[in-house]
Amino acid sequence: MSEMTLLEAINLALHHEMEHDPDVVVLGEDVGVNGGVFRATVGLRDKFGFKRVIDTPLAEGLIAGVAVGMATQGLKPVAEFQFQGFIFPGMEQIICQAARMRNRTRGRLSCPIVYRSPYGAGIHSPEHHSESVEALFAHIPGLRVVIPSSPRRAYGLLLSAIRDPDPVMFFEPDRIYRSMKSDVVDDGVGLPLDVCFTLRPGRDITVVAWGACIQEVMRAASLLAEQDIQCEVLDLATIKPLDMESILASVRKTGRLLVVHEACGSFGVGAEIVARVTEEALTSLKAPPKRLTGVDAAVPYYRNEEYYLITEQDIADAAHQLMEKWL
Amino acid sequence: MKFFKLPDLGEGLAEAEIVEWKVSAGDTVSVDQVLLSVETAKALVDVPSPVAGVIARLCGQEGDILHIGAPLVEFEGGEDDGTVVGKVSVHQQHIEDHFVVGAIAPGGSLVQAMPAVRLLAQKLGLDIDRIKGSGSAGMVTEQDVQAAFEAQQSSGNEFLKGSRRAMAKAMELSHQTVVPVSITDEVDLRHWRPDEDVTVRLIKAIGVACRAEPSMNAWFDGDTLSRRLFSEVNVAIAVDSRHGLYVPVMENVAEREGADIRQGLDRMIADVKARAVPREMLQGATITLTNFGAIAGRYASPIVTPPQVAIIGAGKLFEKVVFIHGEARPVRALPLSMTFDHRACTGGEAARFLKVLVQALEAPAL
Repeated sequence: MSEMTLLEAINLALHHEMEHDPDVVVLGEDVGVNGGVFRATVGLRDKFGFKRVIDTPLAEGLIAGVAVGMATQGLKPVAEFQFQGFIFPGMEQIICQAARMRNRTRGRLSCPIVYRSPYGAGIHSPEHHSESVEALFAHIPGLRVVIPSSPRRAYGLLLSAIRDPDPVMFFEPDRIYRSMKSDVVDDGVGLPLDVCFTLRPGRDITVVAWGACIQEVMRAASLLAEQDIQCEVLDLATIKPLDMESILASVRKTGRLLVVHEACGSFGVGAEIVARVTEEALTSLKAPPKRLTGVDAAVPYYRNEEYYLITEQDIADAAHQLMEKWL
Repeated sequence: MKFFKLPDLGEGLAEAEIVEWKVSAGDTVSVDQVLLSVETAKALVDVPSPVAGVIARLCGQEGDILHIGAPLVEFEGGEDDGTVVGKVSVHQQHIEDHFVVGAIAPGGSLVQAMPAVRLLAQKLGLDIDRIKGSGSAGMVTEQDVQAAFEAQQSSGNEFLKGSRRAMAKAMELSHQTVVPVSITDEVDLRHWRPDEDVTVRLIKAIGVACRAEPSMNAWFDGDTLSRRLFSEVNVAIAVDSRHGLYVPVMENVAEREGADIRQGLDRMIADVKARAVPREMLQGATITLTNFGAIAGRYASPIVTPPQVAIIGAGKLFEKVVFIHGEARPVRALPLSMTFDHRACTGGEAARFLKVLVQALEAPAL
């Protein structure tokens, strides 16, 4: 067991899986010689060679498409996009090819690909480096969407993503890449890709969140506990498929739902969760389910970035509204 | 630091051109030593080194245009934070990462009812958990709530609502948990001006006494046997109204002037009369004052409101005879009653608190 950052846990999972499965290959811009712009793939090329750790041209369409070719022919590619905002040229390959290959060939071919990319605001980057567009991918049949929020979960979820027989979009919250350390055991044990994780039990409000804003949610939950408002915090982790069973079990206990996400609100993942909770647990609700999300605008340039991000106080205020305005 | 990136040079400019390198790979540089000069659209600027170290590589050539955040030089050794354009915050903070896969063991489910039915029950002052549901899977229906309400009305009892109901519950909780001890004393008011503002003096004196004996200005958690002492003194003031008992909080009284406290009190009383006490004003009390003597009564055994550990009660002013230099003289006196939670404070702490409180009140002015 050793202490590491989320970024190091990603790197560790890649090392582990490449060592134990010769079919795993890594490709992307600067993943080899440079070790990745964030250093997620550092050390892989030295250890596994240039045939398994491939520096690609600056062409996301190519990265996405080559991975489809490799995957249908028996490899397990882990493709990196330097930022989520750079994926768009690869969308055609991801949506029209990777996500559909199993269905198109009636199961003869599948695409065991992991498309990795850092995402989210908060690192003072230029345009296209700050978006959270997990909802775009969650909308597409045939894709799994996974977002870790701690070193341990990053390690376990990435292992399972690589082992999954179908394409997985694996989005890493870069704001917390190096912001904390926790103990990770390199035991090769994956975490399930179809359940969420309960980080904190509570009786009053079910708070569902994922990615970097789990940090603010957990701090807000501690603050609220001092005011005798007990939040049950669920790290969604796998955005799709949604683990409604766990969310509903919690809401049936608390009667109140708050979904917190950094992505903008309209047509987002929060909307989906709220819709399903009202469909299936309306009779347990004590207050209208609430979303606390980014605004419907492009993430501002870095000088104004902090105005976009959701704060601990925003979350505490939303929780108070749920507790006090209604039953 | 492994990579030093082009810093924001001010002026809101996004890029700069490398004019001249003042160092080369292999050089040892000190903090603030000029590494290179760059030209922005506005000026020629020397860029100093933020750290001391050995330069491994220069990341651009003279004439190159770099964006803010792009790597300038690579140092040997150091934490490798990548070549990304941006700033990933780095902390060594260790977190305990505990989680449960999926939902935790269910802690029971709520009574099933449509939100409108819940709201109706609340409006009628009914506890929906106590209404038997007749709908599918035991769901409480609107008819069930109406029937429960009618049954209640025909019983002849008045059922408590709002602040009256809250008071009943708070008092019940106190009785079940707090171990109360009451202690009384009389304040000799011979030095007071005739028009002294009793409530303001009481609040200010509580501030003084809390500073002297902070264990009375605290919260106590009987479940974890822990307490939390506060440096700020937030006095809850019991205000009687025909709607019931309200206990708004006056914050940070130890730092406030008398006139300011009086102003706060007047606003508080107006808010209670209008039943418009803001939520923030009902939270965060660290000690309570009840001024029942404004109506009647000399001594009482006031009830502590958990998690607070003490409450001060002031009775009705009265005349008493004291001996001054051997002579019997009448003076005005203020009777004080204080209850404290003996789980949280010792008798000595409580008595010392009371002593300071009495002294502060007996002074001619605070």
